Amino acid sequence: MMHDGELTSGGLAAMGGAAGLMQRQWAPCRYHCPVHADVRAYIELIARGQYRSAVDVIRANLPFACVCGRICHHPCEANCRRNDVDEPVAIRELKRFVAELQGAAGSTVRKAPVQDKARVAVVGAGPAGLAAALDLARMGYRPVAFEKFPVAGGIPATAVPKYRLPRDVLRHDVEWILSHGIELRTGVEIGADQTIDGLLAEGFAAVIVATGLPKSRALNVPGMDHRRVLGAMEFLTAAAMDRPMDVGRDVLVIGGGNVAMDAARTALRLGGGRVRAMCLENEQEMPAWAWERREAEEEGVGFIRRRGPAEVLLRGGEIVGVKARKVTRVFDEAGRFAPLYDDADVIEPDCDTVVLAIGQQADMGFARGSGLAADDRGRLVYDPATHETSVPGVFACGEIVTAPGSVVEACAHGQRAAAAVDMYLRGVPVRIDDELPPAIGTISQEVGGKVTKVARAVIAARPAAERAGCFAEIDLTMSEAEALRESRRCMSCGGGAEVIVDKCAACLTCLRVCPFGIPVVTDVARISSDLCQACGMCIADCPAHAIVARSWSAEDLKAATDAALGRLPAGEGARRVVAFVCGHHAPANAWRGSLDDAVGGVAELYLPSMARLSTEQVLHAFEAGADGVVVVACRLGADRYPHATERVRKRVTAVNEMLAEAGLGPDRVQLTETASQGRAAMREAIAAAADRIAAL
Amino acid sequence: MIVAERKPLDEILNMLAPCKRVLALGCGGCVSVCLTGGEKQAAELAVQLRLAARRKKLDLAVEVDCITRQCDREFLTNLKQDPRTFDAVLSLACGCGVGFLSEQYPDVPVLPAMNTTFYGSNTAPGVWEEYCRGCGDCVLAWTAGICPVAKCSKSLLNGICGGTKDGKCEVNPDMECGWSRIYDRLAELGRLDEMRKLRPPRDYRKDRGGGVRRLVLASMTADDQTQEAKE
Amino acid sequence: MTEPISNLQAALQSGQFVFTGEIGPPKGTNVAPCLHEAEEFLKGTVAAVNVTDIQTAVMRVGSLAICRLLKERGIEPVFQMVCRDRNRLALQSDLLSAAVLGIRNVLALTGDHTTLGDHPEAKPVYDLDSAGLLEAIVNLEGGHDMGHDMKGKPNVLDGAPSFFKGCCVTPCSSSVEAQIIKLELKVAAGAQFVQTQAVYEPQRFEQFMRQIEHLKVPVLVGIVMLKSAGMAKYMNRSVPGVSVPKALIQRLADADKKDLPKVSTAIAAELVRAMRPCCQGAHLMTLGWDRHVPDIIAQATA
Repeated sequence: MMHDGELTSGGLAAMGGAAGLMQRQWAPCRYHCPVHADVRAYIELIARGQYRSAVDVIRANLPFACVCGRICHHPCEANCRRNDVDEPVAIRELKRFVAELQGAAGSTVRKAPVQDKARVAVVGAGPAGLAAALDLARMGYRPVAFEKFPVAGGIPATAVPKYRLPRDVLRHDVEWILSHGIELRTGVEIGADQTIDGLLAEGFAAVIVATGLPKSRALNVPGMDHRRVLGAMEFLTAAAMDRPMDVGRDVLVIGGGNVAMDAARTALRLGGGRVRAMCLENEQEMPAWAWERREAEEEGVGFIRRRGPAEVLLRGGEIVGVKARKVTRVFDEAGRFAPLYDDADVIEPDCDTVVLAIGQQADMGFARGSGLAADDRGRLVYDPATHETSVPGVFACGEIVTAPGSVVEACAHGQRAAAAVDMYLRGVPVRIDDELPPAIGTISQEVGGKVTKVARAVIAARPAAERAGCFAEIDLTMSEAEALRESRRCMSCGGGAEVIVDKCAACLTCLRVCPFGIPVVTDVARISSDLCQACGMCIADCPAHAIVARSWSAEDLKAATDAALGRLPAGEGARRVVAFVCGHHAPANAWRGSLDDAVGGVAELYLPSMARLSTEQVLHAFEAGADGVVVVACRLGADRYPHATERVRKRVTAVNEMLAEAGLGPDRVQLTETASQGRAAMREAIAAAADRIAAL
Repeated sequence: MIVAERKPLDEILNMLAPCKRVLALGCGGCVSVCLTGGEKQAAELAVQLRLAARRKKLDLAVEVDCITRQCDREFLTNLKQDPRTFDAVLSLACGCGVGFLSEQYPDVPVLPAMNTTFYGSNTAPGVWEEYCRGCGDCVLAWTAGICPVAKCSKSLLNGICGGTKDGKCEVNPDMECGWSRIYDRLAELGRLDEMRKLRPPRDYRKDRGGGVRRLVLASMTADDQTQEAKE
Repeated sequence: MTEPISNLQAALQSGQFVFTGEIGPPKGTNVAPCLHEAEEFLKGTVAAVNVTDIQTAVMRVGSLAICRLLKERGIEPVFQMVCRDRNRLALQSDLLSAAVLGIRNVLALTGDHTTLGDHPEAKPVYDLDSAGLLEAIVNLEGGHDMGHDMKGKPNVLDGAPSFFKGCCVTPCSSSVEAQIIKLELKVAAGAQFVQTQAVYEPQRFEQFMRQIEHLKVPVLVGIVMLKSAGMAKYMNRSVPGVSVPKALIQRLADADKKDLPKVSTAIAAELVRAMRPCCQGAHLMTLGWDRHVPDIIAQATA
């Protein structure tokens, strides 16, 4: 659903209420995530300590939650709008925290009620294949994943180093995926043990080829066929499978990408001795992620840049070095890869092992026994729009047909292929709608400057000296306290206020109470979703009920109030007090209502900020049966949003006046500003306030 | 714009004494802008009434609705329920809305939840002040935009009285003396000569002295009306 | 010089320094005490006696009735009229009534706001202001009222009044320039004499008189007897345009209670003496201490 211009009462009614409003614009984290995970939603759930719900939101779009929590290249963070305020939210670390905390057991499995549709074969149980299989299983199909390796997971299982991705973490994801009703057959190589034609003949209604790029590209120079010239993919796979390898004590890795870094750092951990990486590119051109390069360097990997291998030098049947020419240029004017060399400038770095990390390539073995056509470069012929290959009923997805990419990109591609297969099997034309809601724009400097700065969580990492000796994980996971704090840095982009234009009286209140100066009022108020921080201040004060929040509803708090009062012991003389508490500094179990030191007769309800607590919410508590209300705000200046406490003070005074008029007074609403001062102080204040109410 | 303030709750409860089911009707016009009679305030009034009714053991149900304005017939089609199904409509509009609605629904009492006070402007967040008295004979051209009818407690036409003290009115030390302000402003503009002209007494027929007032724009009246006017 | 309409006008025209007094009617029908005060102390001592009109918005017997009763006792009244309580119909009617009852001096005033008095709920009228009232008086004198006949022509009166018309001004007002402009309008509208609000600062008064010399109207400076230091401080705080210097307050504070009338009389007389050179008379407001008027005049003119 696209952004349809201004919101009217009729428009809101037509979409069945505010729930559809989140589709009007996507936060850049969601937009740039290849699977469009609802990042804002799961970060908010983490902030509230609702970890199962958070991981369920993640897994709704991203089956490999744990894997991506470790190794995703996080385009979400690169585009996080907090970049323009201070630092991006540590989204990947938060995902890791909650996905690993929950594991497979803690993530909800929503199997299709019946799985009785056609059987679909998926060749390759990597990210693309398993993502496709999962979506098919959810739709009621019966996928069978064929995997030639003894473990499922694809590159994360075979080639990603264990210091990056411990294998038990990967198993959480695979286990969760398979429990949706996917049959996994490991140790079966399609093209050898079985053929695609055979699968189709056997009764699989469709086949998805997702075999990826498991092999290394070779280099055609003299000496390349020595036994100690290893392909990086094969090298990494052997290391991952704990298979013995013939590796010396002076390794030269050829290549400048992430795989090269993985190979170099793995070599360090395996052999001791020297490891260097040699690449065509200079430091700026190297394709490896900056943090990979930095960590490799910290661990002791040497770098030789702007050099291209011309020959592997042998002496006495052993490798002694590599002849390397100077590279004068890597990319041409059009940016295409077209290296030029200076043959006069040659060095001969020593080494006894060469690992080639100059690119990945497919293993086309799966095509044996099928009519699948390849193009003149040897690549599988396929239609990017429909995922169809040259053989009807056979589809392809993942790195086998795209450029080398990340796990999350492979998942997205697999999901797309599953949709194509479903359309094919339903007999409808395969037409996939790739249209996305527009992304929120950048945040202005003016507004960004008013957002309270909070430093990003610093992820503890093992020191380099400690790392280089083993395959134990490098980055440690966040603590719960760090996760709560970090998730509360999210600015809820796109989740903020929207004006219902036909109800707006242009009274200017929203403009006046907004701590960030965002509303613009001409004929009516308009609140830019590019800027709104979703604090809720204007929504609470609008006299015309003309502003709604996209990511939350005022009705939800009323329902929560009713429920909370319902849980208090009933009976004559029983105390019934509602405490609305600012949750910005609160621990997770407070949000979940599992405090073991709750004050008797007081139901504590946590909000992200007191900014959104309106006088109506407080009045509702009384109507729902409360004898009193305690408003627990933060100390001045400690709230999530500027000036929230000041506005709350005025609202409390106003609602006490309204209650006094109705004969409930005085001071049935007590205000304490202790929410930022720790549980002990806050509890004491709530208890004292409840006592004062009881005395009325 | 018109400023109105909520009547005390006790007065409203008295008005509602014979009623069991009441519609609290907010207005999206002036009273929303001065934050006293909009949909939110109607909802809050409803809760106050229900809480008071509960305390006093009254049988009173209050529902809430709000329309764009209560002074134009066409907006009534947006009412969610027929007002005639209630014992009374408690209108949060200004007196115009209450009166107009009373005419539209002669079978239902339309009761005022508000005291309509003045025509005013918003001088600071949360503050509205009287700017105009609807005298029908605007003299702001020669008083530098400061209204002697609204801003002078005595609505004098010919300048300051003896009750001014340090620029404040004798009625209230916080109230500015309108004519002091006019004098200062005219002096600033070099137009004190305006104050030196003896102004004749007002023709109060343009004000309430002429009875109930009405505006008719002939170019906008319906055809049958225009025909009647000609006959 | 025109034929004087009243003794007050004659006295002012003669060039002598003129004293006027003032009495306030009672709240109720018992008029004997205030008439007695006037007869006992003011008759023969002052040229004319002002009768206040629902002063400070406190309801009292009307000025018109008391003016007539004074006249019957041989005292020349000044009929004070405020615009606060009556519309133009009633004001014109009362002017004709005054003329019929032989009253010749009128002082046209705006009138303190209703909220200052004891009937704050009453509706303030102010149909005319003081300048408008003066215009209305001149109009009546010319044989017309403010209304029109069936043909749209101004009504013609069957018998026109004649009045000696006065107005007031506040020389020590914080907005004195605006006061002066207003005074110009009142003189243009027909004011023939001026009685001022109380003045306690002779230098300031002198400056004021220079600023209005172009108006060429006789001015009687207002003197209110200061009965105590407390009253003086109250006046500073609450009465607009009146400022009592600290020195005078101190004199009152230093005096024994029994000496206060004497000190008050002395102060009043000194003020008259100080300001006499620059004005044409003094209007003495004693707030019930009329018995001291002869002494004030004696000390002031000695």
